[in-house]
Amino acid sequence: MLKKLIIDFAFYLQTSKSYQARKHFYENLLNNNKYKYKKYLDIFMISLIFTSVAVLIREVKHPIHDYMFYFNSYVISIIFFIEYLFRFWIYSSISKTIVDRAEHDSFLSRDINLFKAFKKIIKVKLSYIFSITAIIDLLAVMPFFHELRLLRLFILFRVFKLFRYANSFQTLASVLASKKFEFFTLAIFASVVIFVSSVLIYVMEANNPNSPINTMFEAFYWSIVTISTVGYGDVVPITYEGRIVALVVIIAGIAVLAFTTSLVVSAFTEKIDEIKEIKTVEDITKLKSFYLICGYEKLAQDVAKKLQKHGNSIIVLDTDAQRIATAKSDCLTALLYDPGEMQSYKKLNINLEKQVKAVLCLREDDVANVYTALTVRSLSKEIHILSLLMENSNRRKLEYAGINKLVYPQELIGLITKELVGQPVAFEVIHELRSETSNVNITEILISQRISEIYSIVGELGNKNFRVVLLGVYKKNRGHFYFNALESTLLETGDFLLVIGYKVFIKEFEQHLHTRVNNE
Amino acid sequence: MSDTTALLFGFNNYSIEILKNVENQYDNVKIYSLHEEDTKIDNYTIGHFDLSDNWQKMEDDINIEKSVAFCVLEETAENVFLVISLRSTYEDLSIIAVASHKEDANKLLMAGANKVIPLVETTADIITNMLENPISNDVLHEILYEESALKIAQIKIGKESHFKDEELSSIDWSHYNGIIVLSVMHKDMKSEFIYSSKAKHHVIQEEDVLVVVGYEKDIQEFEKRIGSHRYVSWNNWSW
Repeated sequence: MLKKLIIDFAFYLQTSKSYQARKHFYENLLNNNKYKYKKYLDIFMISLIFTSVAVLIREVKHPIHDYMFYFNSYVISIIFFIEYLFRFWIYSSISKTIVDRAEHDSFLSRDINLFKAFKKIIKVKLSYIFSITAIIDLLAVMPFFHELRLLRLFILFRVFKLFRYANSFQTLASVLASKKFEFFTLAIFASVVIFVSSVLIYVMEANNPNSPINTMFEAFYWSIVTISTVGYGDVVPITYEGRIVALVVIIAGIAVLAFTTSLVVSAFTEKIDEIKEIKTVEDITKLKSFYLICGYEKLAQDVAKKLQKHGNSIIVLDTDAQRIATAKSDCLTALLYDPGEMQSYKKLNINLEKQVKAVLCLREDDVANVYTALTVRSLSKEIHILSLLMENSNRRKLEYAGINKLVYPQELIGLITKELVGQPVAFEVIHELRSETSNVNITEILISQRISEIYSIVGELGNKNFRVVLLGVYKKNRGHFYFNALESTLLETGDFLLVIGYKVFIKEFEQHLHTRVNNE
Repeated sequence: MSDTTALLFGFNNYSIEILKNVENQYDNVKIYSLHEEDTKIDNYTIGHFDLSDNWQKMEDDINIEKSVAFCVLEETAENVFLVISLRSTYEDLSIIAVASHKEDANKLLMAGANKVIPLVETTADIITNMLENPISNDVLHEILYEESALKIAQIKIGKESHFKDEELSSIDWSHYNGIIVLSVMHKDMKSEFIYSSKAKHHVIQEEDVLVVVGYEKDIQEFEKRIGSHRYVSWNNWSW
């Protein structure tokens, strides 16, 4: 009966959407560095830790208020204990283990063995309890028992909790962990030297009444102080033999120090790219909108420059290390990721539809562009994809891959030449309007709700006073462009004015539209 | 002898696209390739040349003053050499060349090309416009390249035009419904935006060119009313 109740309850929890959603929320809040609210919890916990240490320091020589004492001993401890329990809860799923066992046994037509399930649950939970971070968490709760004065020193364990909340500590730990074997070898070497030198110095010095080294502890203390090259000078060998031992320990100390330094430096050198990549991905995740350029060849370089001038953020993905280096030297955020691989986008951890304005497949290779476009399209049906087309015979393949806009430079050259030979002056005028370097520009001005409330018709805009030509009005809801719109044309929210003029005058005209709104 | 001739140097995707777009505008089209294996495309026989050729003979078949040469060799150095060869032989030939970058474009201009299209910069401009200003890009594309009712035209001020000797800023353009005047080009100057300070005090003279946008029938009406005609010749015009 109890067994059935336990299994039913486990199934209920596993299928309960609200329970799973809650658990998922706490998992994100406590463990997912990419979760946007985690940083607030981290800041809160770090503040508690520093408050706690500040109180400890203060109370050494000054009396503290009772409320501060209770806050430090009880409130903070209880908060930390609650956090400990949450971490214990989310570390593994009890209900999932029971459900898995039930399904496994049912599938094999056996009696459901809950004992095995509980054994596994206990094993996993114990592995959490005995993990270093969990032990630190638990010790940080100890000041709750403040009557035991010694336990109050456990406040300092709260400082170790900082490792949990500051990413840079975790990075440092992971960097050092990459040289685990080397550090272990060094530790063995240092331990052997310390042990041998402690014994030797004790043997050489302990029987001399003038020597400060009289106990094994003093010998051990001297060894550590000497091998670390600190050398306080409070305990020194006075016998001839003892000084020879000191010489050996000093040389060994220099070797240990040099080896340690080189280990740390090489660990950082090896990991620096990885650390930078993690930081870059974190920065990308925070971006609100950007263009994703796949492939950084000549054309892409020019496009990136122009889009940057418009104030856009650009992210470059490429498989070629040299091109990525070029992108970085052009002050762009670039990653050595294959834009055709699904894994790259998973690593980036971005919302394609919300964050990416458009994906630009600008490799000078149709095969690579099709592959990238298909990968992106499989991730999002809505995202706008623009691609370069190198061979006209591949046009259909690229269209089939779901690319929204194809740019075939050869075709552009054909069209440009046609206009150039037919109407050179007109062509030049339009070319100037499109060019980034020209002073005269064509600009789209959005009619916001506020503007449309003040300027109901085209005639009220007053563009001529600002030496701005109104080429026409684009009605977005009808998808139609009204060239040289009549003065009586109604302006609606969401319309676009296409204006031509000097950049500075267009800016003034735009300001005028907004200022008038403000004045009203 | 043919009146107008398009000379296409280089046989590749660029020349094929240029051919598609300009073949109807010229009485005669000649294609030249550096490679012997290129022999024919559609109805055109491909001629062959090498860079050491003396182009003097070409004068016998075509009217140089009414011809335009399109230099689209894939190798920039070869293209520059071709342009300089043509210019050294024919001072009056109009030469349009395609360059991959702006740096190459400068060399081609120095070699004597009248107009150079820098491929990367031009394509990048178009892509940026497509993304950042999609509406204006579509409108300009339609005006320039598509067979739409909206057109851009160059109107040359004739002897009889009643705009002659008038100051540009004194003309009330709103009388000419359906027409937007974008710029004016004096025969000695670059095109100037209609509202620029230079254009403002410019006195319209014979041979000046107005660049206007409008529907075909409105442009025709405008031509009639101002007593000027459309200007379509490109020859001997350089930037």
